[in-house]
Amino acid sequence: MTAPRVPATARRRPATRRSGLASARLLRLELRHNAMLWMLPVAVALFWFTTYRKTMAMPPLWNLRAANMQSGALADFITPVVGAAAWMGSREARRHTTDLVTITARPRWARLLTTWAATTGWAIAGCLGCLAVLYTVTARQAGWGGPLWWPAAVVAASLAALSAIGFAAGTLVPGRLTAPLAAVAAFFMLALSTELIVGSQSYWQISPLVTGPWDAGPNAGVGTFYPYLPDLSIAQAMFLAGLTIAVLAALALPRGSGGRRLRAAAAAACAGGLVAAGTAVALAGTGKLDAHGMIAIPALHDAANDRPIRFSPVCSQTAIPVCLNPAYASYLPAVAAALKPVLHEIAGLPGAPVRISQAAVTYQQGAGNSVGASLAGPPVSGRPPVYHLLLPDQLPGPVTTVSELAAAARLTAGPAILASVMGDGPGASQAQHAVTAALVMAAGLPPHGIPPAADGQPGTPPEVTPGSPAYAAAQRFAALPASARHAWLVRHLTALRAGRVTLAQLP
Amino acid sequence: MNVEISGLTRRFGRTTAVAGVDLQAGPGVLGLLGPNGAGKTSLLRVMATVVPPTSGRLRLLGRDPGQYGPRREIRRRLGYLPQNLGYYPGFTVAEFVEYFALLKEMPAARVPAAVAAAVERVELGGKAKARLRTLSGGMLRRAGIAQAIVNEPELLLLDEPTAGLDPEQRVAFRGLLRHLGQRATVVVSTHLVEDVGAACARVALMDRGEIVFHGTPADLTARGQGHGIGDAPLERGYSAVISAARS
Repeated sequence: MTAPRVPATARRRPATRRSGLASARLLRLELRHNAMLWMLPVAVALFWFTTYRKTMAMPPLWNLRAANMQSGALADFITPVVGAAAWMGSREARRHTTDLVTITARPRWARLLTTWAATTGWAIAGCLGCLAVLYTVTARQAGWGGPLWWPAAVVAASLAALSAIGFAAGTLVPGRLTAPLAAVAAFFMLALSTELIVGSQSYWQISPLVTGPWDAGPNAGVGTFYPYLPDLSIAQAMFLAGLTIAVLAALALPRGSGGRRLRAAAAAACAGGLVAAGTAVALAGTGKLDAHGMIAIPALHDAANDRPIRFSPVCSQTAIPVCLNPAYASYLPAVAAALKPVLHEIAGLPGAPVRISQAAVTYQQGAGNSVGASLAGPPVSGRPPVYHLLLPDQLPGPVTTVSELAAAARLTAGPAILASVMGDGPGASQAQHAVTAALVMAAGLPPHGIPPAADGQPGTPPEVTPGSPAYAAAQRFAALPASARHAWLVRHLTALRAGRVTLAQLP
Repeated sequence: MNVEISGLTRRFGRTTAVAGVDLQAGPGVLGLLGPNGAGKTSLLRVMATVVPPTSGRLRLLGRDPGQYGPRREIRRRLGYLPQNLGYYPGFTVAEFVEYFALLKEMPAARVPAAVAAAVERVELGGKAKARLRTLSGGMLRRAGIAQAIVNEPELLLLDEPTAGLDPEQRVAFRGLLRHLGQRATVVVSTHLVEDVGAACARVALMDRGEIVFHGTPADLTARGQGHGIGDAPLERGYSAVISAARS
């Protein structure tokens, strides 16, 4: 061992700038030797196998994919992040370096904060990297709209909060079992946090897993006709930020963590964080399902978000154009093809719609967590008449593929369009039922009342059942050449709609 | 005086580890000798500001470590090697030393040079990029010494620094101690009386939490004249003082 040659170091306290440089160097060391770095491949693999593949199977709608990403990414990252943070938090005790680091000048809290920052930095970087890939692919596929950043912000804030909780657990209860126990506990706590949600006015909506009305799930009908409401996301981000600040500040409260001023500031920050988190929970409790399918929190709500988004619809080149919101442009060819036979039957008839136009869904909170979704007004309105179409994906339920959606639209919207033109509905005549059923058969759809295909379809007229006079008349009318059917309808549709045509008068 | 201790007591539960110690030390190397359980490590931990004294007065580098501001200032000028060195196996030697240089709030711009110098001084220059998990016990001890001296401490506290070092390294380390002692106060706790004889200007002998002897190695040697236990004069002095303290 050799005698020292380096000059004595300056004894002045480093200036802020130099202190910042030292903090950056410390952070670099912590980043290089962080357990989260080893857990990232696990988290990314989980994200790939569960969230990414599931999200990519969804239609390329920003709201749909962003909502699924938020809850999925959280579920994938929570265990690795909390585990790694707890492992890093317990490092000094596990490695018996407590004495060594205790006698250094840098306050304990600043030292711990650097370690936490490195852990959280890797977690957020990894998660945002996954998100970037998902959003980049979606940007290439989506025909309209743009990325939603609030879900990403909630995910980032969640990871910071979860990391802080895990880190604090590791610091307070250092041990080799702390990390796995904290990871498992955090997973179950987050998963169970949604179990107590009842209705839209629930404090438990503060759970970052919640992206909208609970039990409605990611919904394609949200955020396309009306702006995405960030109200709940703001409350969640506020809650998570408050929680993070409170937990991290609590680490500075024990004696020896820093000077009196630091501890006083930490106590204030801890209280402030708790107040912010509590306020956010209270705000979430005031949230209500709005008519556009999102949670609106009055205190955070921006009335400008209640105005519909202006858009130019994309329309098909069919006999009667089918016009969809540009967000659904990728659905148009399949939906137009599915409805083409139906539209062919009514094109040119008096009172037939000049356009099939996709409409927004109106949502209503039901009992418990049930959510009702329907068309706001009558299906046909205006002069010339326009038929307002709801795609099955706009309604709460499982997300379908494009071909599944087109088939469902054909089975539900097709008969409904025909019935609206024929005036079929409650109180309609047997002839109206029969003609509607005939056109349904002619369009190649499962005829109403004939099981099994049409069984249970909405609007099924019970009168048109096999063996009934109306069914026989429908079969007879459907058997006519298309031109003959069309010619008869042109001449008699007004009388038919007025209920002045009997079954016997049908050709 | 860099170390001023009077009536210092440290208790852990019902056990009194340090009992009313008085000690003053200026620049130079002070050897702290004593049998197992004498309280050497506890005294060093109090002096290192790891734990506060239960009672008594302690001033280090002219400051009161009981107050946060002065304690922080002391810690900037302090080097400490604990008896059981904890370390992060994934860190390289240079990173380990750099980590502690930064925690000691050395000016960041000076850290790289200071780290390189400290690593060289403990003759680990060739292993600077080796991960700590790959080092032998002796090398780890030297890495621990490097982190203790990286900030050119004015008060250096070393608890069993030569444990695990081979004879050649121990000789070199004594040279380093003598050099550091020219400017700083170095307190070395050890079982090895030859280390004290070779490197320490003064020696304090602890037994049962108390300092039972404080003087030069020559004084301690003189106490051993006529005492039969021990191979070397200093060892005989050590045995004589301990025997006298216990009788």
